Amino acid sequence: MSLKKSTKNAEVQEISSKSTTLKALLLVTIAALLRYAIMTSKYQSIIANHVEVSTPLSSWKRVSEGSFLFSKNINPYDGDLLHETPLAIKFYKVMLHYVFRNVHLMFIVFDLGTGMLLYLAVKKYAFEFQQHHKDRKKFPEDVQKYLPSQDFAQKVSIYVLMGFLFNPYSLLGCIGHSTMGIHNFFLSLFIFGMIYGSVVVSSFALAVCATVSFYPVILILPLSIYFVKEYKSNTKAVLAIVNFVTFLVLITIYNSNFGKDFSFVKNVYGCILSVPDLQPNIGLFWYFFTEMFDHFRELFIYSFQINTTILYLVPLSIRFRNTPFVLTVALLFLISIFKSYPCLSDLGFVLSLLPNFVHLFPDCQQGFVVGVILVISSSLAPVLWHLWIYSASANANFYFGVTLAYAIAQIFLVTDILFAQTKWEYSLKHGKDTKIDGEDGVLSLE
Amino acid sequence: MGLLTDPNGGQGKLTKLLLNYHGKLCKLSYLIGVIWFCSLAAPQFNSNTYFSENALLPGLVKSTFQQDRLALQYFQELKDETQKYDSSLPYAWLLAKFRQIGLDAYTHNFTLHSPLNPNETFYGKNVYGILRAPRASSTEALVLSVPYRPPSSIHPTTLPSIAIQLAFAKFAVKEKYWAKDIIFLITDHEQLGMQAWLEAYHGVSCGNKDVLNHGDLKGRAGAIQAAINLELHSVRIGYLDIKIEGLNGQLPNLDLFNLAGKICIKEGVFYTFKSKSRAYFRDPYTEWLYYFKNLLAMMTTHATGIPNGNHGLFLRFGIQALTLEGFEQSKEGSRVGLLNIGRVIEGIFRSSNNLLERFHQSFFFYLLPNYDRYISIGLYMPAACMIAAALIIKACAKWFKLQEEDINVAYIKVIVVFVLMHFIGAFVNSLPQIAQLFNYDVSSAIFFGLISVLITSLLVPLVLKDFSFEVMLIFALLELGTTLICLSMNNISLGMFCSVISVPMALIIDITSNKFFNYLQKLLWILIHPFTILFIVVTINSWLLFNQESIGEVLLRAIVATQEAVIYSVADSMIYGNWLYTVVTMVLIPNWLCFWCVTFGRIKSPKNKFD
Repeated sequence: MSLKKSTKNAEVQEISSKSTTLKALLLVTIAALLRYAIMTSKYQSIIANHVEVSTPLSSWKRVSEGSFLFSKNINPYDGDLLHETPLAIKFYKVMLHYVFRNVHLMFIVFDLGTGMLLYLAVKKYAFEFQQHHKDRKKFPEDVQKYLPSQDFAQKVSIYVLMGFLFNPYSLLGCIGHSTMGIHNFFLSLFIFGMIYGSVVVSSFALAVCATVSFYPVILILPLSIYFVKEYKSNTKAVLAIVNFVTFLVLITIYNSNFGKDFSFVKNVYGCILSVPDLQPNIGLFWYFFTEMFDHFRELFIYSFQINTTILYLVPLSIRFRNTPFVLTVALLFLISIFKSYPCLSDLGFVLSLLPNFVHLFPDCQQGFVVGVILVISSSLAPVLWHLWIYSASANANFYFGVTLAYAIAQIFLVTDILFAQTKWEYSLKHGKDTKIDGEDGVLSLE
Repeated sequence: MGLLTDPNGGQGKLTKLLLNYHGKLCKLSYLIGVIWFCSLAAPQFNSNTYFSENALLPGLVKSTFQQDRLALQYFQELKDETQKYDSSLPYAWLLAKFRQIGLDAYTHNFTLHSPLNPNETFYGKNVYGILRAPRASSTEALVLSVPYRPPSSIHPTTLPSIAIQLAFAKFAVKEKYWAKDIIFLITDHEQLGMQAWLEAYHGVSCGNKDVLNHGDLKGRAGAIQAAINLELHSVRIGYLDIKIEGLNGQLPNLDLFNLAGKICIKEGVFYTFKSKSRAYFRDPYTEWLYYFKNLLAMMTTHATGIPNGNHGLFLRFGIQALTLEGFEQSKEGSRVGLLNIGRVIEGIFRSSNNLLERFHQSFFFYLLPNYDRYISIGLYMPAACMIAAALIIKACAKWFKLQEEDINVAYIKVIVVFVLMHFIGAFVNSLPQIAQLFNYDVSSAIFFGLISVLITSLLVPLVLKDFSFEVMLIFALLELGTTLICLSMNNISLGMFCSVISVPMALIIDITSNKFFNYLQKLLWILIHPFTILFIVVTINSWLLFNQESIGEVLLRAIVATQEAVIYSVADSMIYGNWLYTVVTMVLIPNWLCFWCVTFGRIKSPKNKFD
């Protein structure tokens, strides 16, 4: 009897999983058509020219220019035009000329690929998460209704896919040919590799991300923690680090044309780290460093970069060592807020990972506020940009105000999620009930 | 960090407060916003205008312009000359005069392919002369422009301004101190000629492709720093009115406005803003009312986003510009001749000539309750935000309520309907382009197409079953709030009018079980449909204009006028890039439809309550 029941359950699950796959395919098709429709309209160039979409690091115009200079045997790194690595340029060129033959197609396929990889990764992660909480008796009475249900994995993975494909931020990034969309593909490959326990894939993808946009380098820590905690394998963790370093070296060797030409370092990592290009973007660096007296510049560059990279890395890694996936998402969030040249695709990518924490939402406090601030700041940003640059009537302060609100919304969001996670962990052990001797107790962080 | 890590921050007292008192909070926020804004007109709450840009040095030099006799002579000659031409500029005479004076004189041809009727084409010709600055290398320029009006024009004549323009050119060409080129421009066909000239000068096209063919300029000067547009209706001037409202609600830098005023005072020319000058009152209420009426007068022209003079087209190119309109009737009993007007022009140009950087010091966002008082963005924006905040507070309360009820919501369905509504808006927006594909006069086709689409869209909510109207309401409220803030940023007058009208209605809309209330809110909501509002405004306007006619006739007039208003706004958006039509169709109408959907929501009154 019990055997029969379990097979039936499995059948049901298989059917529902099939229908989810169908749903996923349908979503992907709609997303592809939507992207293609907008890309071929007159809005493409308008979107692509917006600073929110194309930063010096992610502008497709610069890539085409650099690629052209390469083909004429001129070193594009002599000027300060190109901020992508030689490997990335080569990759785009090969992809464009030999695989896709159409820019629109290339960006759409990579974007859909990101979506699919996230979908598959999250499906497995959510399934494991649900399995982990399967034995309901282990947990207190009053958290039962918050525990993930049977179809948790199916639901969450579809949400993530939808969240990525129809998220206005990633949509705009893709339509605007932001190369960050392609970087995000490798980032999703990294998450995919991490969750499926593939050392080679994850460390390779991470090495690619790290060489292109530097900041993901810190993700090596959650990766190794993931292998230690989820796969109980120290060898995998060590292997991941070794592999990562090897790939980094190999890619750098290629980039430097086998040790002959290191001029790209100044233009890629120099640009990311010392922020010479102060073209406004949605980040926090440009305004600060335009206003800065030059002799303080170095000090603040160090403090800003430390803030982005290692300031939160160690404490968060210690606190969330048991949930390395949460740690990864938190770090991705912090990178996208504090990096030197953020664009909309960055936020789009991390926002699409939020449905993974659907079980934490009841504990979140600022969800609505964050949503409102994000909506208002994202719609005010282009308006104020227009007033500043085209109408010449507003000024930089207006735009900076908006980017500040935008950053604040994200900070609220990530803090809220992390705090909800600690609450969740607490309530799994002790229950939701916080009564102490019949009186309401208060949870506090100490 | 208490705000972020306080465990009871979100769902604690604040939420309860919001849930219990959100209705009152919304009303309070709205009222505070409106009262705040209205009280800004009182001189206690706004400030005196002042010069921010030191380089201007207004009125520091002695005026030396003396060519008023010459101006009168030009005026007589010009009057005779215009009789020889039907509708075009007397360009041969103008070119000859410019050359005689010693300017580089050119003509500029432009063509307009009517956006509404592909078979119609208009031609125009501008004339301009450039005075090359002796002290700089043509890197910067100032513009003195006049719209030419043929005798058959319905607008009052501007011939005296051409006369004084020529006389000023004659005077200026001999002076050694010019560091910026001066362009003397005479435009054809009112704003069309100006737009074409500006587009040609900057080599861009602002409206739709192939509508206004701006042609080429044979001679250019440098980057234009400031422009003065002259519209003098007589050689004896009673008062000068300064007009500033530009395209899409842009305003010139307040320094330029102050400059013009200051020079007028110095030369003893009586000047006004909105035909009102300074007035003194003992009673604070009458004082406030006087200023508030002035403020409203500015806001009504400002809100339309249609320039009230040729200056309004300069602003989008980052050129500060204003119009000086001179009327013959006097406000104080005395009139001035062309001598004083010439000296006003001299003063403004010599001050602008001193500029080291482009105008940037003073305000670009302001409202004027009088010519010497201003309300800055820092004062009016909080009021606008307070009004918009009422919507967001309501949305927030609705959201928390939804969270408490803990029901499953089909968000995706709501989002799909929400997006669909915006597609309807996008379709309405592209109607003119679609209509253009059919090759005939489409002005009435557009209007009736528009009306029919809008009426059909009213039926959309009827197909909604099992729909979570609550979530739709939250989305609609948030969208309206965001839109109002963005609108107020761009054009505070339009934003304010929209807020004051739409926010109370949006606050009333709720999902009820009361049938009567449901119908009432539907009725109220139809009343504030953008087209209903347009119709009401136009009807009132035509009733005021033709108040001796019967109601039927007035209504008929109003319908025709409404149709014309819509067609004009479509044409404006295609020729000048005016975004009013785009904003209304792409944002306001879809948002209106979203709320309209919500009014169809009903709480099913629980049957068998006592079982």
